[in-house]
Amino acid sequence: MDTVIIDGLSFALPLFIIAIGGIYSERSGITNLALEGLLGVGAFFGALVVALTAGNFAADSQVPFYLAMIFSVLGGALYAMLHGLLCIKFKANQVISGVVINILAMALTSFLTSQINAAVLGKPSNKFQLGVSSRFTVPVLSDIPVLGAVFTDVYPFEVVIILVTVLAWYVLYRTRYGMRLRACGENPHAVDAAGADVAKIRFSAVMISGALSGLGGICFAYSISANFSPNIYVGFGYLSIAALIFGNWRIMPTLGACLLFGFARSGGYKIAQILALPSTFSDLIMTLPYVLTLLLLVFFSKSNRAPRALGEIYDKGKR
Amino acid sequence: MSKRGEKTVSMKDRFLVRLLGNERWQAITIPVFAILLSLIAAAIVILLVGKNPLTAFQSLMQGSGLWPKASYAAKKSMLTDFMSFLDLMTPMLFAALAVAVAFKAGLFNIGVSGQMLCAGFAATAAVGYLEIPGVVAKPLVVLIGIVVGALVGGLIGFLKYRFNINEVVSSIMLNYIAQYVISFLIYTNYVDPVSRQSRYVLASARLTLADTEIGGLKMNIPLGFILALIAVAAVKFLMDKTRLGYELKTVGANSKAARYAGINVKKSIVASMMISGCLAGLAGVTYYLGYYASIGPRTLASTGFDAIAVSLLGNSNPVGILFSSFLITAITKGSTYMSSTVGVPQEIASVVTGLILLFSACGAYIQYMVKRSKDRMTEAQAEQHNGKEVDG
Repeated sequence: MDTVIIDGLSFALPLFIIAIGGIYSERSGITNLALEGLLGVGAFFGALVVALTAGNFAADSQVPFYLAMIFSVLGGALYAMLHGLLCIKFKANQVISGVVINILAMALTSFLTSQINAAVLGKPSNKFQLGVSSRFTVPVLSDIPVLGAVFTDVYPFEVVIILVTVLAWYVLYRTRYGMRLRACGENPHAVDAAGADVAKIRFSAVMISGALSGLGGICFAYSISANFSPNIYVGFGYLSIAALIFGNWRIMPTLGACLLFGFARSGGYKIAQILALPSTFSDLIMTLPYVLTLLLLVFFSKSNRAPRALGEIYDKGKR
Repeated sequence: MSKRGEKTVSMKDRFLVRLLGNERWQAITIPVFAILLSLIAAAIVILLVGKNPLTAFQSLMQGSGLWPKASYAAKKSMLTDFMSFLDLMTPMLFAALAVAVAFKAGLFNIGVSGQMLCAGFAATAAVGYLEIPGVVAKPLVVLIGIVVGALVGGLIGFLKYRFNINEVVSSIMLNYIAQYVISFLIYTNYVDPVSRQSRYVLASARLTLADTEIGGLKMNIPLGFILALIAVAAVKFLMDKTRLGYELKTVGANSKAARYAGINVKKSIVASMMISGCLAGLAGVTYYLGYYASIGPRTLASTGFDAIAVSLLGNSNPVGILFSSFLITAITKGSTYMSSTVGVPQEIASVVTGLILLFSACGAYIQYMVKRSKDRMTEAQAEQHNGKEVDG
């Protein structure tokens, strides 16, 4: 039971923070299919900094990990500006822009990773080694039966994600900026009439989505793969999009969806282990989160409603 | 920036209007302009890696059989390269058409890859290993591809119509489910112990006539390509000339207005997803039983995702898609040869593709800029004219 909770959380939380990024962008009215690319480019920048500074820190130092986080956030936000530019300034179709951003992200990061490895670090390789982040256990709390697992073998990034989540929730639902952002996704003309700059708010929302995706990306790189390589593009971004639509574009229900993915995934592995199923069956078990989601969607999709102005190019003159 | 009211016409205005000002040709001139811009950008990237962009582009075309190579192996020529290129282009063409049909109806089919896999696997399992003559096997493969694709696509449409499940979410979920379930089935029943892929399908079931000797040349003949050309015409006819196509486009443009006009929106959703699925299924059989003859477990073909961009580049227009899939496939196919002869890293090809798509996504903006330049020019002309009248 413990491992189900531990592994479930460490998968669900990075997914969740990426989905929150998606919520920011989509609630402001910008469709964001680019999450996959944003998380990859974010993680690329983080991993690049780690690779370039390798050797400057003690072997067990946690400094590279935090450096990676900071640069992933910056890198994700920077790359997201491209999506913002395309969607807001260049009036591109947002769905298409998102897909293009993803294709370009995969191409650029795999190209740059092997080029930098060969030219700067002097070894032909298509990945940056990162290692796995250290974990910690909270002393007293972890002794609570069942729930104690939540406090056992915690990755530091899980704490960071929870802190960022609280902040993101507060900003979106309790500040003037957050209210305007949400209004941009429902009725941008009203926001304009109230004297705020729709383009600016949307642009900032897209940048936030890039920053949060970058954070999620580097967390995956530091927990699941222990390196940065093009293999990071396995669809976590698309999965977060599914989670945020399932969560009806709201933060707390989206957390539920992410936890569902996480626990169904780790629970499935556990079941396979208990039943001692041959490894071929692991493929069937991998479908569990997705089958479960589809079934739940059948019951919970009736009230699902996207932000009204989602995907529309804002045109001041149009009423 | 010029002040408001002041009508200055810059060199840029004149240039843009002369080059792209003709609205009738903009559907062609703007994408071509975008492609040229991206090729310039790509040339700069190649220069930065220290290679000659011209030789790189040349070898790209040589790899796709669009430019003669210096020498060929026995029984090979530019034609054999070109045939192999068409073989790879076939699934891309089908997949991009699949995306376009859904897109026209306002739906986003991100599940083309999953539908391809389902159709490809169903045909492989049902017909791929049967010892029956090709004249029976091949049509059967095509038929299974169409039916399975339509069923999976239709399911996504049905889930949206009946339960209001967003098609993006359900297709992503179905992509994963298809990928893992089929991987399980391959490993348990159809695996080749050496390659760890599904066993090669028999030549009779393959939609590509592999290593066929014609006129002293050994080539792969993609039968599916003819089918793909028919599909281009059929989709064009459907969209432009039929009532169903008109309804789909209306639903895509404004589903509320469509409902008031008496169009059955829900039926249109399912219909467009079924047609889209059909085309994706055809992409699947021409991919898994055409260009390749086996299925790799646990992977989705990137074709289904690239097709979204190819469809955009072709402006979701069947004829446009014919050209855009030609271009993108030429880059993909030629890149292997380019990296082996010129030494330009193969990843550059994907960067070039990405750049082309990036610039073409800005098509609407280029159009907007041209229009603004044109307005400035006509205003300036009118002013000049007025000025003369006052003088006289």
